[in-house]
Amino acid sequence: MGLRKAAAEPLREVVEREHARDLPGLVAALKSGDAEQRRWAARDLAAHPQAAPTLGAQLLAERDGSVREALFTSLATHASDEAANALLPLLRSEDAGLRNGAIEALAGMPAAAGPRITALLRDADPDVRIFTVNLLGELKHEQVTRWLAGVLEHDPAVNVVAAAIEVLAEVGGAAQLPALDTAARRFADDPFVGFAAQVAADRIRAA
Amino acid sequence: MKTAARIRISDTDFQKFRDYFYRKTGIHFDDNKRYFVDKRLVDRIEAGGHEDFRSWFIALRFDARGDELQQLVNAMTVNETYFFRENYQFDCMVNDMLAEVVKHKKRGERIRIWSVPSSTGEEPYTIAIYLLERWPLIEQYDVEILSSDIDTAVLDQAQRAVYSPRSVGQMPRELVDKYFRRLPTGEHALSRDLVAAVEFSRVNLADPADTRRFRDIDIIFCRNLLIYFDDLSRRVAAEAMFDALSPGGFVCLGHSESMSRISNLFTVRRFPDAMVYQKPLSGGQS
Repeated sequence: MGLRKAAAEPLREVVEREHARDLPGLVAALKSGDAEQRRWAARDLAAHPQAAPTLGAQLLAERDGSVREALFTSLATHASDEAANALLPLLRSEDAGLRNGAIEALAGMPAAAGPRITALLRDADPDVRIFTVNLLGELKHEQVTRWLAGVLEHDPAVNVVAAAIEVLAEVGGAAQLPALDTAARRFADDPFVGFAAQVAADRIRAA
Repeated sequence: MKTAARIRISDTDFQKFRDYFYRKTGIHFDDNKRYFVDKRLVDRIEAGGHEDFRSWFIALRFDARGDELQQLVNAMTVNETYFFRENYQFDCMVNDMLAEVVKHKKRGERIRIWSVPSSTGEEPYTIAIYLLERWPLIEQYDVEILSSDIDTAVLDQAQRAVYSPRSVGQMPRELVDKYFRRLPTGEHALSRDLVAAVEFSRVNLADPADTRRFRDIDIIFCRNLLIYFDDLSRRVAAEAMFDALSPGGFVCLGHSESMSRISNLFTVRRFPDAMVYQKPLSGGQS
């Protein structure tokens, strides 16, 4: 007993593989009944960008939290148009974990997410627009403040506008002050919007 | 001949290097690291006899053996450490974490501890000394210490195991006398028995192909490494650690690092000596 060098028993894979580690094998392993096998398949599929739609579909079915994290991380690693397309439907999910995971993953792929923002901000569902505003709070993209100002100037839903004001309070600058005024005027009947716009404007001026 | 002062790294060069290095290693350099990065890039450009960044970068990208990339990694990773650094986590290991680990093991079973990054070996050897000196059950279990780093030069140094007086300065004097031999140069050579007790390997924690073979680990020390990674690479590394650990296994991060900001996979455990992270046991119980 005591300290013992591992060389006598080299590190090795201890999980028996039911499927090969190629694309078809990994896709098949995503359907395994064993969460560890599914998690490993999800991680290994990070090396297969063409698997993005499969990873997205699995997210809708997956119940194990650790497998979900691996699925999101692999899609974030792809950071491709296909990965963004696989993540966007999750913004409509009733499951807050899926929505937040999608927002986090999309936030890390500005080149793929950016071209989709305008359409998302025009979505008929105000909840999708709110989640898009939340995404803008995390997205490192030069258009973020312009998109948020557009929400303040045009979005008909008060909750979407309130969410955008909240994000602008953090990321906005002097160029967005007129949009904050516009929002306060558009929703003059709602004292919260006026209050939030004033707080955001004060914060921007103080920065 | 060009001198260091005459080779200039432009903003575009820096961006090119940063993107390439990130893709290869997961390590991300912010703009505020320009001085650090530029100085080392110039060193590498000169070492290869290149006239400018462009020539060197082309050679780097077409170097099929990857030797220059490895040299670059060695230059860009920081390896300052010393014996018994942040030793409250080692106290926690011998006072609490190991007691929980052995609850799920029979006497004589294997315990695996992984220290990553190994840097020049101070951490894995500190773990070995702590186990021998402070863990009363050491003779009842087989303990394997694995240690990995992306930098092959420090792995060589770790196995050479010769240290400056500063490296051992935080250790109790009697332990220095017990485990080291004083060399005429004033340096300290670690006992070869301890060197032989640690299994060193080259691993990039952000590369699943490298970490796949690490399984059944009971405790991981991963301190002051994730601070060099960007958000995505941190998540990849967290998942690698999750899959490497046995259920109920522990992760120790550096004092400025927080797993809770990276991943929801682990639960927080607060012990008297330290706060650490734990992979849940099956069924979600800690």
